[in-house]
Amino acid sequence: MKPRVAFFDFASCEGCQLEALNLDAGELLDLIAAVDIVNFREAMSESSDTYDIAFIEGSVTRESDIARLEKIRQRAKILIALGACATIGGVNCLKNHMPMEEALKIVYGEDAKNYDTIPTKPIDEVVHVDYYVRGCPPPTSEMLKVVKAILLGKKPEIPNYPVCVECKWSGNVCAFERAMTCLGPVSRAGCGAICVTKGRNCWGCRGLVDEPNVDSEKEILQKHGITLEQALQKFQIYCTGGEKK
Amino acid sequence: MAKEMILVVDDEAIVRESIKDWLIQSGYQVLTAENGEEALEMIKKQDFRVMVLDIRLPGESGINVLAKAKTINPKLKSIIITAYPTEDTLIEAKKHGAIDYLIKPVIPEDLEKLIQDTVNSIDDGVATEKERIEKAPSPITKLYSITSSGVKSLIEGLIREREVIGVKSKQGKFIFDKLNSYDELILDYDITLLPPSKFLFPAKETLLKFNVESGPKFQVVNDAKPRALVGVHPDDINAIALLDDVFIKINPDPNYITRRQNTLIIGVNCLHPASESFAPSMGTNTADSGYDLLLTDIGIGFMAAVGTKTGAELLNKYANPREVTGEEIARQKEVRDEAVTKYQRSLNVPKERLLKLLQDNYENPFWEFRAKSCLSCGSCVMVCPTCFCFDVQDEMALNLIEGERYRNWDGCVLVDFAKVASGENFRHTKGSRFRHRILRKGKYILEKYGRAGCVGCGRCATACLAKIASPVEAFNAIAESERVKEEADRIIIEAESKHNIYLPHLALLVNVQDLGAKEKVFDFKFVDGRALGHKPGQFVEVSIPGIGESPISISSSPTRGEEFQLAVRNVGSVTNALHKLKEGQVVGIRGPFGKGFPIDQLKGKDILFIAGGIGLFPLRSLIQYVLDKRENFGRIIILLGARSPSERMFTSELEQWNRNPSIEYMETVEKGDEKWMGNVGVVTALIPKVRVDIKNTVAVIVGPPIMYRFVINELKKIGLADEHIVLSLERRMKCGVGKCGHCQINGIYVCQDGPVFTLEQLRGLREAVL
Repeated sequence: MKPRVAFFDFASCEGCQLEALNLDAGELLDLIAAVDIVNFREAMSESSDTYDIAFIEGSVTRESDIARLEKIRQRAKILIALGACATIGGVNCLKNHMPMEEALKIVYGEDAKNYDTIPTKPIDEVVHVDYYVRGCPPPTSEMLKVVKAILLGKKPEIPNYPVCVECKWSGNVCAFERAMTCLGPVSRAGCGAICVTKGRNCWGCRGLVDEPNVDSEKEILQKHGITLEQALQKFQIYCTGGEKK
Repeated sequence: MAKEMILVVDDEAIVRESIKDWLIQSGYQVLTAENGEEALEMIKKQDFRVMVLDIRLPGESGINVLAKAKTINPKLKSIIITAYPTEDTLIEAKKHGAIDYLIKPVIPEDLEKLIQDTVNSIDDGVATEKERIEKAPSPITKLYSITSSGVKSLIEGLIREREVIGVKSKQGKFIFDKLNSYDELILDYDITLLPPSKFLFPAKETLLKFNVESGPKFQVVNDAKPRALVGVHPDDINAIALLDDVFIKINPDPNYITRRQNTLIIGVNCLHPASESFAPSMGTNTADSGYDLLLTDIGIGFMAAVGTKTGAELLNKYANPREVTGEEIARQKEVRDEAVTKYQRSLNVPKERLLKLLQDNYENPFWEFRAKSCLSCGSCVMVCPTCFCFDVQDEMALNLIEGERYRNWDGCVLVDFAKVASGENFRHTKGSRFRHRILRKGKYILEKYGRAGCVGCGRCATACLAKIASPVEAFNAIAESERVKEEADRIIIEAESKHNIYLPHLALLVNVQDLGAKEKVFDFKFVDGRALGHKPGQFVEVSIPGIGESPISISSSPTRGEEFQLAVRNVGSVTNALHKLKEGQVVGIRGPFGKGFPIDQLKGKDILFIAGGIGLFPLRSLIQYVLDKRENFGRIIILLGARSPSERMFTSELEQWNRNPSIEYMETVEKGDEKWMGNVGVVTALIPKVRVDIKNTVAVIVGPPIMYRFVINELKKIGLADEHIVLSLERRMKCGVGKCGHCQINGIYVCQDGPVFTLEQLRGLREAVL
């Protein structure tokens, strides 16, 4: 019997689910042939509470999210964090650097009193996570890689080296040499250095590598003209700063 | 290293002898021959490394000598010298194995440089004899001249024939990329982001495809299209030569071989090297093989060296080549020589020494220290033309039936590179990974393949954001630390031959005399007859084995003979043991220690001696000295203080001083008795009674610590300057050699820097005067 796959979204833009739909037609058909998709808000109206693999998109930002996530965890045999918000907190973490009341007021103004919010958590701060599919958005190839690894019963080979490696493979001119600053030297690769290849720089959406040399990176950022404070802010965009992931 | 043996062949004695002299001065062994026959005889008997040969010789011609020498000793490198360079002779000479030439009159610097380069190119210190012979006969490179439009039609011809990868610009940098037209090609560039070798060994490639539907079936993936790499610099050509060794010689790699066989290499000599490059230090700024064609832009056109038959065919087909002129050969040499001067980095040690240097410095703290800021980002290894490590992974299709096995570049500086499945990481520190990479560059690869794993291109140093990756910096730093270590070793070795500073010399107690209730004076002389050689004011460590050592100031002047006197008050264990000694017994003496009184500063001056109590003991050595050399000094004023008449020491000597008309002498006791007729009071009270010329007077004071402050006050009152007040400090001097630290006042060791100081020297030393 084919494994039943469900997608769930928490605080997020749902871009990860959309990215999943970006599989080319052949891949999509292959995927549907390999698994049964039973919950996928972006693509289907039916839903089911019986599933084997749960993809969680988004981060936990409300008290009520916790119970919901725990329930999914109980039902799923395998739980996968999908995308930057789920794996490291993502841009939702920006509010963690201010009081919650202030964040609510900025977003909802007068109506702030009608909402509750808690500091953003990546989902593994609430439940056990079996696999991580990183990035904002995560590459579909990596999503498939993890699904295939589960089906094959092997450990998916996700890089634990910095973006620089793939950046060099791509023959890019270093962002620092283009008068930009970049978090690539401490951020986990696996994205094919897509942002730098397209002429931008890396913001660390896949989180830090396991042993990042953050001190050295800060020194390099400062050497390239940004203050320590700005350097720290850079690390906060995707919540990669002091976090271990 | 043994001296290289050089043979100089010239029929003109003056040329022969001057070249010989220059080369001997540069550290070579030189033999000479005045004709070809003689030279060939010598080559049969001696293993020369380099021959410097006049091409015009009487009898056997230079060309014949070249050809015959090559058969006798294939390893011999020949440099020809000629006053009449014609293209025919030069090409002929090259054909017969001459590696370079110089035009007469020969400039010593040019010759030395050429010989040095030649010698360096011969010996990499590792290649086996067999490899050396295999490599020695480099392909006969024939040189042609082509015009710029010849180059253009060559490239255009190639583009029609095959895929052409050339140097193009990208965001202000240079890359190797597919050329669609000749106009995109840049031949004058410093360095590309990635090396051209990535077209032989790409970042990611599929090795196998497989299907597991009915048992596993593998299918080889190995296809390469015909390609030409255009604009490859000699350092990258040398790097490809290493990859050839790695991927072809041992366990041939089919994918690499197929690409290599389908790839033409059109090199270009580098005229504007990158700022981080040190290729000349690695001997890779030139290449005499490993290319099909090697171009040099000589401004008035191009020189094209032919490396292979295919290269020659291409040249003939597209580039309209013609024979080179002597002027063009000279011009090529000029531009290449000029390019060498433009390299900004170089190895500070001969590259032949690297291997041993790295071997000896495996444990050097440099590695961890230097790697502190390493990001483990892999940039250095990914841009390296000689790095070839890779990872292999399988990727299955979603149908879980078909899949492929691919490899991608990996690198030893990445954190997980040496990590095994159980989680252990065999190079878990940044320093160990950094060291591994540098040792691969300078040692491991060299040992395995006979070529260094670094061609000095400088890409890693440019790519490294932490600015630590440059191998030449690491090599030089290790060499420097080695030098420092050698120096330290030398100091240690030399120091060992000197005497042991803690070993006392035996001294015989010749005479002992009571001075007071608790004071005695001892006359010593060394058992081995040596002289103490002391200065007034110095002290010795007196050693009674089993009891200990004690610092005792010397009471007698060195002017009074080889025996020396120590006056000692019995106040502690050692002095107590000393007091029990009988004449004829032996003690240990170390010293003399300390600086003593500043005799040079006292010369010509009036001296005001002030002693309190047994402060007289050390001061006596100076008083005796000054009296013995009376003519060197001005007025002598002696002010002495004792607690009571019975505590006056050396009374008969005091009596002599009192009676000496050249001494102004005053004495006081704090408490008199019925017999005492002299002054009563503290010694300070005597000071106002003497009139001194403050400009020309130095006061020398020795006494109990409590006395100093009062005496100094009084001397300041009469206007004596700090630099004219000299005093001797008492401290607990345990070792006497500035080590143990007991006598230290702030940063000063009293035993070495004192015990005598001027008040000026003590200003600012907080604990000096109580």
